[in-house]
Amino acid sequence: MSVQYTPVIWNRNKIFYDAVLLIAVALYLYIFIRVGPMFEDVTKPIDGAILRMRAFGSCAFLMLTVILCIGPLARLDRRFLPLLYNRRHFGVMTAGIAAVHANYVLTWYFNFSPTDRYVALLNSNTNYGQLLGFPFEALGIAALIILFVLAATSHDFWLSFLGAPIWKALHMSIYAAYTFVVLHVALGALQGPADPIFTSVVAASVVLVCGLHFATGRMEARRERGEATAKASLQEAGWVVAGELEEIDDDCAKVVTLTEDERVAIFKYDGKLSAITNACAHQNGPLGEGKVLWGCITCPWHGYQYNLADGRAPEPFTEKISTYRLKLIGSTVLLDPNPQPPGTYVEPVEIGEAA
Amino acid sequence: MTWRQTKDAPFFVGYLNAVPKTLVMFLGVFSVCFVAGLGLAALALSSTQNDPGAGGFQWGNRFETAGILELRPYPVFRVPANEEAPARTYMLAGQGKRGVFNQAETHKGTTVSIRGVPVNRGDLTMVQVGRVEAVEGETAEFSPSEAVPLGRWKLAGEICDGKCYAGAMRPGRGLAHKACADLCLTGGIPPVFVSSGSVENRNFFMMADQDGNLLGDEIKSLLALYIEIEGEVERLDDLMVFKVDLATARILK
Repeated sequence: MSVQYTPVIWNRNKIFYDAVLLIAVALYLYIFIRVGPMFEDVTKPIDGAILRMRAFGSCAFLMLTVILCIGPLARLDRRFLPLLYNRRHFGVMTAGIAAVHANYVLTWYFNFSPTDRYVALLNSNTNYGQLLGFPFEALGIAALIILFVLAATSHDFWLSFLGAPIWKALHMSIYAAYTFVVLHVALGALQGPADPIFTSVVAASVVLVCGLHFATGRMEARRERGEATAKASLQEAGWVVAGELEEIDDDCAKVVTLTEDERVAIFKYDGKLSAITNACAHQNGPLGEGKVLWGCITCPWHGYQYNLADGRAPEPFTEKISTYRLKLIGSTVLLDPNPQPPGTYVEPVEIGEAA
Repeated sequence: MTWRQTKDAPFFVGYLNAVPKTLVMFLGVFSVCFVAGLGLAALALSSTQNDPGAGGFQWGNRFETAGILELRPYPVFRVPANEEAPARTYMLAGQGKRGVFNQAETHKGTTVSIRGVPVNRGDLTMVQVGRVEAVEGETAEFSPSEAVPLGRWKLAGEICDGKCYAGAMRPGRGLAHKACADLCLTGGIPPVFVSSGSVENRNFFMMADQDGNLLGDEIKSLLALYIEIEGEVERLDDLMVFKVDLATARILK
């Protein structure tokens, strides 16, 4: 959280995160370029530029795979949440690695010619009508443009400038980038002489990314069914039954699904109950999976905090989220499904003896 | 572990330096697996790359010979037989992705001395021309032989640019190299058909259209693909020429 924009607000966890990332990438490139060729069974070495092109390209592909796995992994098992915290640095580094790959392509395959290399890149193969022989470079360019746009807009300034919904939608284009990259590889490198290892790596990436997203989707669907009690339950003058008090741990929340797009987090803390929207104002993080720390709801993604009673970030921060009214009958929690305007104070419900 | 936050479950807040101990252990193991996994992937991918072949520039074996420049239809250099070797015909390329049509037009049919660097892969040799100079004297009397027709053939293989395939790039074939090959052919480097079957024990063929003229943009959609194509094959000293009938071309895969 910050009240002013600085390029990066470093802390120990970010430094550790980036250090691990840099070590992994440096090791990958070193082994690919220096160690791997010692074990190659080749008559003459592969060109250095092509070797580096492959090293950076495959590295970017694997990094993109891991990035896309972090989201669903963190949904399935919250121990992966710390990987999400600094994921934007991962993304920026991936865009940089992909750019180096593209630069090698440009300065090797499209160089040494009377034709300008950028013109050659776009002009030398225009067989867009055929599958085999398709100009797969265009797919790589599309993916690289997306990665650049996402890297350039990854800072919180753009999140604030564009607003969370637009920013989030823009950054969902990472899936389009991944699709382009998979097609780029499938119609390019995989069409060369048989390479079972690389083919297996690409197939494993696709299966892993799709499988994890499918598993997460199923889990979310189960949650929606399990928490649909609010929709189907007894209603009393516009209130919905949110659940029983015993279902909520101290300083934690129960998440109630009202509609497909609207979830409410009901927190129990200090013998009281308060309800707020489940979506963090920062990146729509799931506040209901956060915890109450120092009297504030704390988002599990980036640690954004809000007061429980009014949904306002503690001063000097200015973020606000919607609050909801609650009622307690015996040990049953009732929720008014109509959100209050962001930042509206709602008197917490005292639990009293029902707790 | 699930998605749900419970009272006792560790809770990570990025900007707090203190990370719960159970998470430190988990993240430490994950970090080691991540780094080791990428390292193993790099080793597996790098050490199992396909052999790009034995082609390459023969930098230590500079080419400097007198002979006759011809256009058949691409620039070739006809070298007379001597005591050590029979007559030879070399394909020619310029620096980078350039052909030598200008020099060949200027000197065609005349005896010249060519200095350059051979690019060689098996019995495919392309000379990267550095300098062309007119020669006068007894070598100027040399008369190259006529092409020997070897009949009509149906061959399966790949259209490559002769220079990269000969070893200017390693690897210099396949779809990943298609755009580069396209650029080379546009620049004037002769196309070469790399056949999976042989004709007189030769698998490399300089290409021309069925009338013996230059091939145009019509081969671009066939470039770098495994195709089957028919045409007349003829031998020019040691160089095989494949005059292809593009109407018979069929993409196999």
